[in-house]
Amino acid sequence: MTVTTTMSATPTDGSGALYELTGITRSYSKGSVTVSALRGIDLAINSGEMVSLEGPSGSGKSTLLQLLGALDTPSTGTIRFAGRNLEHESDAELTELRSGEIGFIFQQFNLIPTLSATENVEIALIPRERSRERRQARAIELLTQVGLAHRLDHLPSRLSGGEQQRVAIARALAKAPRVVIADEPTGNLDTATATEIMGLLHELHEREGVTVIIATHDEEIATQTTRRIKLRDGSIISDERIS
Amino acid sequence: MFSLSYVINELRRRIGRTLVTALGLAAGVGLVMGIIGVSEGLSNAQNRVLSPLGSVGTDVIVTRTVAPTTSTASTTTTLPTSGFGGGGGFAGGGGGGGFFAGRGSTGLNAADTQTLLSANSSIITDLAKLGKPGTQFTHDFFVPGTLITFPTAALADVAKVKGVQSAVGALSLQALHETGTVPTQVATVKTGGQTISTTVKPPTLTAAQRLAERTCIQTAITKEFGSATSTPAAGASGNSGTAGTGRIGGGAGGTRGGGLNFGGISSNPAIAACLTPAQKAYQQNVVVPEQTVRQVLNAPTTNTATSTYTVAGVNIANTQSGLVTTQQLTKGSWLSSNAAVAKTEVLVNTAYATQKGYKVGGSITINSVKYSIVGLVNPTLTGNTADLYFSLNYLQSISSSTGRINEVLVKVANANDVNAVAKAIKAALPGATVLTSANLADQVTGSLSNAHKLANDLGGALAVVVILAAFLIAVLLTLSSVAKRVREIGSLRAIGWSRGRVVRQIVAETAGIGILGGLIGIGVGAIICVIIGAVGPALSVTSSGLTVGASAVSGLIGQSTTSAVSTTVHLTAPIHLLTILIAFAGALIGGLIAGAAGGWRAARLAPASALRDLG
Repeated sequence: MTVTTTMSATPTDGSGALYELTGITRSYSKGSVTVSALRGIDLAINSGEMVSLEGPSGSGKSTLLQLLGALDTPSTGTIRFAGRNLEHESDAELTELRSGEIGFIFQQFNLIPTLSATENVEIALIPRERSRERRQARAIELLTQVGLAHRLDHLPSRLSGGEQQRVAIARALAKAPRVVIADEPTGNLDTATATEIMGLLHELHEREGVTVIIATHDEEIATQTTRRIKLRDGSIISDERIS
Repeated sequence: MFSLSYVINELRRRIGRTLVTALGLAAGVGLVMGIIGVSEGLSNAQNRVLSPLGSVGTDVIVTRTVAPTTSTASTTTTLPTSGFGGGGGFAGGGGGGGFFAGRGSTGLNAADTQTLLSANSSIITDLAKLGKPGTQFTHDFFVPGTLITFPTAALADVAKVKGVQSAVGALSLQALHETGTVPTQVATVKTGGQTISTTVKPPTLTAAQRLAERTCIQTAITKEFGSATSTPAAGASGNSGTAGTGRIGGGAGGTRGGGLNFGGISSNPAIAACLTPAQKAYQQNVVVPEQTVRQVLNAPTTNTATSTYTVAGVNIANTQSGLVTTQQLTKGSWLSSNAAVAKTEVLVNTAYATQKGYKVGGSITINSVKYSIVGLVNPTLTGNTADLYFSLNYLQSISSSTGRINEVLVKVANANDVNAVAKAIKAALPGATVLTSANLADQVTGSLSNAHKLANDLGGALAVVVILAAFLIAVLLTLSSVAKRVREIGSLRAIGWSRGRVVRQIVAETAGIGILGGLIGIGVGAIICVIIGAVGPALSVTSSGLTVGASAVSGLIGQSTTSAVSTTVHLTAPIHLLTILIAFAGALIGGLIAGAAGGWRAARLAPASALRDLG
């Protein structure tokens, strides 16, 4: 196992840099107090990487995840995603980006409680796919892939945590994104289920070549990734590639 | 656009919230439907009550009511006592002074009051005349109430007014139907027994008369008793002429045997013939014989049940205008055009017939006269509908008002001239009450008028308040729903839903709720309207303009001073397609407003809220 530590923003393999972050800061105003969540982040993530972001609460990993997911924009610095400078993108363009290129997996699964498993996956396809039949077919295909062929019409409330997260993964994959961003994907799951979910993410990464970025404070999860980035107080304190 | 299945699932699976919001809107629009229905029902009721003036082709009604006095503008042209026609015309028609009398000083004017009392006097009568004490009696009295009668000649005067097309006379009377026991109460009055004395002094005789009288008496005495006579001094005393006393002379010088007794000189024809006429009178005491009079007093009202109804006279020759016309005949036929036949016939107001169970072909007996019911009519003229309609001439004859009417129904040639013509009639007939349908509408008071006002004034405001409350509830519920779905909405944004799509989705949901609320609301509104129609609250209409009736009479008797005619109409709440559309649109708009509020709130949510730790 070779461990390389690099602070370089240069792409390290042929597929090129998916993300290039330069001098990123992000501060929030809470009343009269300004909280700096990120204090100068320089980071490059290549296509096909499986990255873990580690750090305790308040380290800024959620903020970084939001920036990577095009849910938020930095206070200063630039984010380039697949060569696009997100700084200059409108809300509509960022929405477009999220609807096609970025898949999200949340700790709380964030499924729509009133929709069945199939419908929850379909929801993600609505902005892109007009045909309801094709949406449905794609949703069933994805749910079958994640092993939920027998749960298609179940409401989230009637699914176990692991099953809900599988639905969420299927939803994240629905639009064949270039990157999947997972926020503590196993945080609400028991160890056995967590292992299953991580297995799915690995499969996704290896078979589809999707870039996966996982925020976690579980070392076990982090060690399963190819690159571990540790954050503390809004700064990257270590960034190691495991090959 | 938005996901319909998402909307449907959202509404179906959050059925509680959906229903609460929808029911809020439903209650709102249902109430608004009810309010619209009631308002329209009141309008209908008012139209039904007020429009009939026009429907019988009558534009103006002329009556003569007891005028309250005080200064009104019209007094300027009014003669103080006899009003119109005072000089020649029709003044002095029975029952009082000139009709359309002028105004007096204070209170009811005296002439009018007198007329009114006189016209209604038939009711204040001796019931004992109706039968033997203790027996049952039934009698119907016809009185004009406060609509004072006037000679039919007034018709010609009205007809002369420019713009009047036709003027028809009518007689509306209040009938008091009294039943009870003939009272037995009597009073014993002793009269007579007085002694009446009078003294009459004949005038002193002239010397010639005295001489003639003496000579005459002497001649008479000589004739009777021979010439030998001792002319007593009594002669002088006789001469003194104490006329009228029973005796002349005295027995002073009279011989007892053949005593000359002049007693009864007057009874002696020969001597009596000598007296002057004045002396023939004499003093006498007259004793009035004692007499006991037993008389039944005026009827006490106890045990006498009075019910009232109204009767009116229609001109059998004119079936097209008047208080009731052939158009208003609902069953049977009109009064015969033959007066002799018509006097045995009667038309009955449909409502009264229903109430009394009268049918065409049946009969009604009034004061022992049997009238056959030939037809039912549905008169609509406000304020003076009658229960029974007789031939005008016949009614005049049985109510002691021959040749008299108390209403003139005027048709105006041009509808635009109604007010001008009414003014002209008023000027021509000072003291007359001239009513147009517009006046009539103004004079209508009572619950209908009040309710209609209420519906117009407050109903609109109430509807607005109700609908705003419903909207507010829908908005608040939607905002609360959006607040609960922050994570869900954030997730949608995160997985690529645009702001617009999220807003549309929420608006579509609330629009769905609005549609549901509209449908339920239409049901609620329909139920409200049906219930109102079924319960049919009675609305009374009081018209002070046309007053007929017992109220006026009882006012005279002192029981009541109000005099107004009331009509009752039952409220309905009609539903129209437009009302339904308004209700539905209202609910939908409410849903859209709520959706707009919720959408606005949702659009402000950052997509990152999906990631924030919200517990």
